[in-house]
Amino acid sequence: MKRETASPGRRRSLGFLARFLGLLVAFYFLVAWHPVNDAVIVPFTSAVAHVSSGILAVLGEGTHVVGTEIRSDRFAVNIENGCNGVETALLFGSAVLAFPAPWKRRLIGLLLGLVAIQLVNLVRVVSLFWIGVHRPSLFSSSHTVLWQSVVVLCGVLLFLLWATWGTGRRAAVERHGAARRP
Amino acid sequence: MARPGGPEASGRLAIRVDRRSILRLGGGFVAGLAVWFAFAAPYERSMAAAAQAVLRVFEKPPVTRLEASGGEIIVDRSDFPETSPRPGLPAGDLHFNFVLLCALFAMTPRPLSPSNFGRFWIAAAILWIVQVLALVVQVESVYATRLGPWSEAHYGPVARNLWAGGFHFYLIAGRFAAPFVLWWAVGRPQAPPPAGKS
Repeated sequence: MKRETASPGRRRSLGFLARFLGLLVAFYFLVAWHPVNDAVIVPFTSAVAHVSSGILAVLGEGTHVVGTEIRSDRFAVNIENGCNGVETALLFGSAVLAFPAPWKRRLIGLLLGLVAIQLVNLVRVVSLFWIGVHRPSLFSSSHTVLWQSVVVLCGVLLFLLWATWGTGRRAAVERHGAARRP
Repeated sequence: MARPGGPEASGRLAIRVDRRSILRLGGGFVAGLAVWFAFAAPYERSMAAAAQAVLRVFEKPPVTRLEASGGEIIVDRSDFPETSPRPGLPAGDLHFNFVLLCALFAMTPRPLSPSNFGRFWIAAAILWIVQVLALVVQVESVYATRLGPWSEAHYGPVARNLWAGGFHFYLIAGRFAAPFVLWWAVGRPQAPPPAGKS
C-alpha cells in the first residue's frame, strides 16, 4: 500500500510547486509593470545605490550616486534589475507564500527574510564595486556567476530555514506525546 | 486534510538544514563552480547547436547560425549583409544556474550516492533543455527588437512583447527558479511514509 501513502505527499509537493510558480509569474508581472517599476523598483534600486555608496565612503572609496549608478574617479557600476536583490526577493516571497504555514509565521518569515536578502545584496554590491576598482579582471565572473549564485542560494537557504523552523521542537513534542500514550 | 503549519506540512520538507547541510551546500557550490569554469566552452557549443536546430525548424528557409565563441553566442544569419555586425549574447547569464543546481543537490545527506547522482543528472538534463529554450527565446527577442526596421517588418507588436518579455522573465526569475524547482521536484529526499499506515 506504499502508493496510497506516497501519493498525498507527492500531490502536496506538486501543489507547492504549482503555487510557487504561479506566484512567481504574478510577482514578475507586478514588478515588470511600468508604473510599479517606475514608482517602486527604480526608487528602491536608487536607495540600494545610496546605501552602498555610503558604505563604500566609509571604506575610503570616494563614490557618489547618479540615479541608480555608483560612480568614482576609477570605476562606475549601474545597479539594474537582477542586481538589486529583487529577483531573490521574488523567489523567496513566492516560496514562503506557497508553503503551507500560518499567516503570522509567513509574515515574520517574509519580513526577516527580505531584510536578510537585502543585507546580503548590499555586501554583494559593495564587494563588486571594490573588485571593480581593485581587481577589475575578476569583476565579470564575480558579477555573473559568483555573487548572483550566492545571493540566490542565501534566499533558498533562508526559505528552507524558515520552512523547517519549529519542526524539530514540534516533532519532539509529538514523539513525547506518542510515547506517553498507552 | 493537512493542517497549515502542522506536522504534516513541516514533515513534507524531509530535509534537515543544519551546519552539515550548509557545509555540503557550500562544497557543492565550489564543486559546481569548478565544473562550470572547466566545461563552459563545450557546454555553450552544445547549447548553440541545439538552439540553432530548434530555430531552424521554424524558419523557411533555415537561415540562423549560432556559434559559441569567447563566452558569447554569436548570432548569424545567411541573409545578414556581409558587413553588418553580428550580435553577441553573453552565454554565462544563460547557464550559470548549473552551479545552483550542483549546490542544492549537494545539500542532501548522501550527496555522492548513486541515487542522488542519478537524480542530479536527470535534473541537469532538464536544466540544459530549459537553457536551450531560453537561448531560442533570446535569439527571437534579438530578431524582434534589436534589428531596427527589419524587426518591425517581420515581428508585430504582440510578437515583440512576447519574445522580449519571455526572455526578461527568464533573466529576472526563471533562471533562478529553474534549479530550485528541479531540486524540489527531482532531488529533494522524499519523506518516509508515516509509521503504521503502510
